[in-house]
Amino acid sequence: MKNTKQAKREAKQLYRLCLTNGLLDENRVRQVVQHAVGSGERDTSSVLAHFVHLVKLDCARHTATIESATPLPDDLQTEIQTGLTNRYGAGLTTAFVQRPELIGGMRVQVGCDVYDGSVRAWLDALAKSF
Amino acid sequence: MIAFILLAAAESDGQVEQIARTFGVDWQHLVAQIISFSIVCLVLHKFAYRSILAMLEQRREQIRQGIANAEKIKAELDKTEVQRQEVMAQAHAQAAKFIEDARLAAAQLQQEETRKAIAAAEQIMARAHEATAQDHDRMLADLKREVGNLVVQATTTVTGKILTAEDQRRLAEETSKQIAA
Repeated sequence: MKNTKQAKREAKQLYRLCLTNGLLDENRVRQVVQHAVGSGERDTSSVLAHFVHLVKLDCARHTATIESATPLPDDLQTEIQTGLTNRYGAGLTTAFVQRPELIGGMRVQVGCDVYDGSVRAWLDALAKSF
Repeated sequence: MIAFILLAAAESDGQVEQIARTFGVDWQHLVAQIISFSIVCLVLHKFAYRSILAMLEQRREQIRQGIANAEKIKAELDKTEVQRQEVMAQAHAQAAKFIEDARLAAAQLQQEETRKAIAAAEQIMARAHEATAQDHDRMLADLKREVGNLVVQATTTVTGKILTAEDQRRLAEETSKQIAA
């Protein structure tokens, strides 16, 4: 049975195989998964689990979630996408979500980076300051 | 006396004879009585007076010794009285010293106890002040939090209604500028 360290190392090698010009290739990911499942080898589950974790992290790093209290105008959406592309590079997937509980403003999350300019965030900070 | 009688007999024998006859004096008996009296005196002097005088001298010596003893005893008594007075004076002085020492010790003890009591009272006061300050701070913090929550709730309720589309766009643009910066 493979230990965790070895499984992590093999999952990382698989993950690197799926990168094309620094971006994750979905087709290669599918091929890797199909090959691993079809090989019938033992101990592939731990490697696949680590591999899925790495893929999820990559997806999160390349996915920008833009939340706003009201629907954003198209020009503003374009402007935001441009700004995100300039900061994080191409290949970034953007998702616009409407959340009325934000009250006002916008909240953008890319991976671990969060840009929160919503009124809710200000009010939460205000409440914490008390 | 015999010489006087002989002289009288020699000078005035007649007259004396007459007087002696008048008074009934018998010279032979008188001389015999004188001789016997003298013998009695000598015997008494030899056998009685000496012992009596010796006894008297002994008594005198005893009395003198008694007086000397009394004087000695009186001197001893005086000396004892002086010693008693000295002992009493020393006892008085020692008692006064003991009383003074006890008074000083009591004063020191009182001062010490007073100091301890003051320290304890100050400590209690400090704790009370500290507890009061902590209560005050806690109440102030609670009040601040309550007021803050009320403010946030009121702002939450009101803000969504008063924000216009322009305000929403301006807020979103601020975040966009933050990303682009």
